[in-house]
Amino acid sequence: MEASITLKKVGKLIRDKTILASLTFGIERGSLVAIIGDNEAGKSMLLKVISGIEYQEFGHVYINGLDSKKRRLDIISSIGFVPHEIDLDPWLTLEQNVRFMGLMYGVDTETVNTRMIQLARELHIIPHLKKMVQDISPGIVKKGMILRALVHDPDILILDEPTAFMDAESYRHTWDLLLRLKGKKTMLYVSQSLSEVEEAHDRILVLEDGIITLDGSLDKLLGSTFDYHQFQIEFEELSEDLFQKLSKVPMVKNPSRIGNSIHFYGRERNVFFAVLNAAASAVMKDISVNKLGLQDLMDAKFARDGIH
Amino acid sequence: MITFSFMVILPLLLHVSITMVMKNIFIQSLDKIPYEIWVFPGIVLTIASMSMYSIIYRDMFDLRIHKKSFLPMTLTPFTKTQLILGFLITSIIETTVYVLIAMGVLTILLPNSLDWSDYFIIPIFAFLYSFILGNIIITFSVLTDRVSTYIFTSVTMFLVIVFGSGILVEFEFYPKTIGIILSNLPLSMILTSLRGIIFFNRFDWTLIITPIVVAIVWTWMNGYLLKRKLRQ
Repeated sequence: MEASITLKKVGKLIRDKTILASLTFGIERGSLVAIIGDNEAGKSMLLKVISGIEYQEFGHVYINGLDSKKRRLDIISSIGFVPHEIDLDPWLTLEQNVRFMGLMYGVDTETVNTRMIQLARELHIIPHLKKMVQDISPGIVKKGMILRALVHDPDILILDEPTAFMDAESYRHTWDLLLRLKGKKTMLYVSQSLSEVEEAHDRILVLEDGIITLDGSLDKLLGSTFDYHQFQIEFEELSEDLFQKLSKVPMVKNPSRIGNSIHFYGRERNVFFAVLNAAASAVMKDISVNKLGLQDLMDAKFARDGIH
Repeated sequence: MITFSFMVILPLLLHVSITMVMKNIFIQSLDKIPYEIWVFPGIVLTIASMSMYSIIYRDMFDLRIHKKSFLPMTLTPFTKTQLILGFLITSIIETTVYVLIAMGVLTILLPNSLDWSDYFIIPIFAFLYSFILGNIIITFSVLTDRVSTYIFTSVTMFLVIVFGSGILVEFEFYPKTIGIILSNLPLSMILTSLRGIIFFNRFDWTLIITPIVVAIVWTWMNGYLLKRKLRQ
């Protein structure tokens, strides 16, 4: 499939600190790609570089095959960007903000009207269009920002925390729209909500210190965990001696404690029974076993690296 | 309504606090023109200056430093110089409205009115004056990241312009060298040229072309500065 976004050895420095380090990857047209990673991993900067808000110091970014530095004016209309922080003009209404940006992109008034009404209906923000931005709650404003980014009908939509500040209903409306656009537009987004990423993605990029450490679908990424499971046992009272004893049970990986609960990873059921045997003298209150998810992949280094 | 009231009150305030006081000191210009007539274009341009400062703060500096809709604007298919030109044109158009209202209010307060053609010439020169001043303010707006620094430089610059551009006092009253330097600044050239036309029917192309060239080059330079600042 044709690449919509291509990065070749892209590097970004800020005052001698490497934010992005020689990133090379491509994103297929029409795909929905999620970027996750710890704070300061370089996720937002990566979005800024791709969207043209900041230039990279090294390497090339190609949008629809065109170099983003050399052909900026040719490619810039292909991109819609939704930043994390609210950046609408608070002294204008939501509608005026959208209209203004539509005019800046050279979209005629009638088309702006049609698109605005259709998208506002899908996002359920019609009643808020005539309100001043400063009088609207942040979750609604964020939906307005998505509307604004789509008003010039870009091929590529880049979103930094698309559902930030939103309640459950707004979250659902937003994802209904984004999933409807999937396939028609290339979408790249950053989210700290791993459950959101688990629900909506074709591909996940895990960024760590400016480097992509994992790249693939959720199944592929979780495949690297070699069927590990996470276990949690809550005791009436978990003494330090008992915690140490359980931690030393063979094949218990990455044990940690939260209050009177022990949390660990293991690959085989035997591990769990071995721990139960070792803790037989203590009073247990609750037991849970879960398959690993994206959260565990991010939390547990051992899972990310794979255990051989 | 508040803005309109302000547009009317501002020229009244300047007339009371500047013209009515200074005319008792200077009485008339060195060319025997009554002070309140001579200072009329200066007061109008002072109002243009105040308007330009507030509009560019509102439309550019505030949006940039408080991360409002400025960055999305830079992602639209315009060069940075075109964006700067856009900020300039919109602020100059709004300033022209201030200028026209101020001219109307000040005319009522004048003992003798100006020639009708002067009411066309002054806004044209106010446009050119605002074009240069707007560029100066935009340069500060691009280079400054703190509101306090911006206000400090703006107030300083405003005072330098009011007292150093021949708005209130003729350059002949300054020490000779300083007077020569100040009279050759682009903003001073515009005022000198404007007074030459409306009071003496004297048209000096050099005094008009030079500020226009400066304004165009400065606009391009602001575009470059903005590009560097945004790292785009």
